[in-house]
Amino acid sequence: MFGQMDWQGQKLAEQLVQIMLVSFAVMALLVGYALESFQSMMLIYAGGVALTTLITAPNWPFFNRHPLNWLDQSEAVKHPKPKLLRT
Amino acid sequence: MHSFGYRANALLTFSVTILALMCAIASLSDNLNSPSPTAQVQVLNINWFQKKPDGDDEVSMSLNVSSNLESLFTWNTKQVFVFVAAEYDTPKNSLNQVSLWDGIIPSKEQAKFSIHTTNKYRFIDEGSNLRGKEFNLTMHWHVMPKTGKMSADKLVMTGYRLPVTYR
Repeated sequence: MFGQMDWQGQKLAEQLVQIMLVSFAVMALLVGYALESFQSMMLIYAGGVALTTLITAPNWPFFNRHPLNWLDQSEAVKHPKPKLLRT
Repeated sequence: MHSFGYRANALLTFSVTILALMCAIASLSDNLNSPSPTAQVQVLNINWFQKKPDGDDEVSMSLNVSSNLESLFTWNTKQVFVFVAAEYDTPKNSLNQVSLWDGIIPSKEQAKFSIHTTNKYRFIDEGSNLRGKEFNLTMHWHVMPKTGKMSADKLVMTGYRLPVTYR
């Protein structure tokens, strides 16, 4: 849960945060205004923040579907770094 | 978005910014409300009317304050502070305002009221000018929001007069 996400996962997490928070905010405002209840707005939004945190903050597996495959050590040894030619 | 802590922090700060925007919108929504408050104050009785030893006039009166302030309440209203003030002029001051009664209305359900009371605060003049004095009774109200700017307004009721002699 506390590992590194891959790049695609990070992008997805960021998009989810923005979309979810704004959606919950709009919904909270509309419901609160319609019900004439300020508390409703606050509760809906607080719930939305909690849900968003639960979905986007931990490093869930679905954020790691595009892992980067770094070169294996044994393969790297076969291709040494080129040496600088003295001029 | 490199770690749990990074994401949690970014999410929290963004959510607080959005919260501030929501409160601003909620506060602006109050402008859609057009209030139509009504009020009436009757002076039922002048209980006594004396000149104090220090030379200032004082009067005690029984009032009936009735009002309907329901239209002031919106979803963003925390409470309404209301007070009734006697207003009159004297040679020394062009405007004297003396608060006689006040109250806090915490909800719309309690905003329609009619109360019978003696003046909650003493009606003392700065001097001895009250005999036969014509005065207004003005109801002031301050609408305190849950979020945003407080607004205030008043309703002036004219035509009251104090007795010509002490009693």
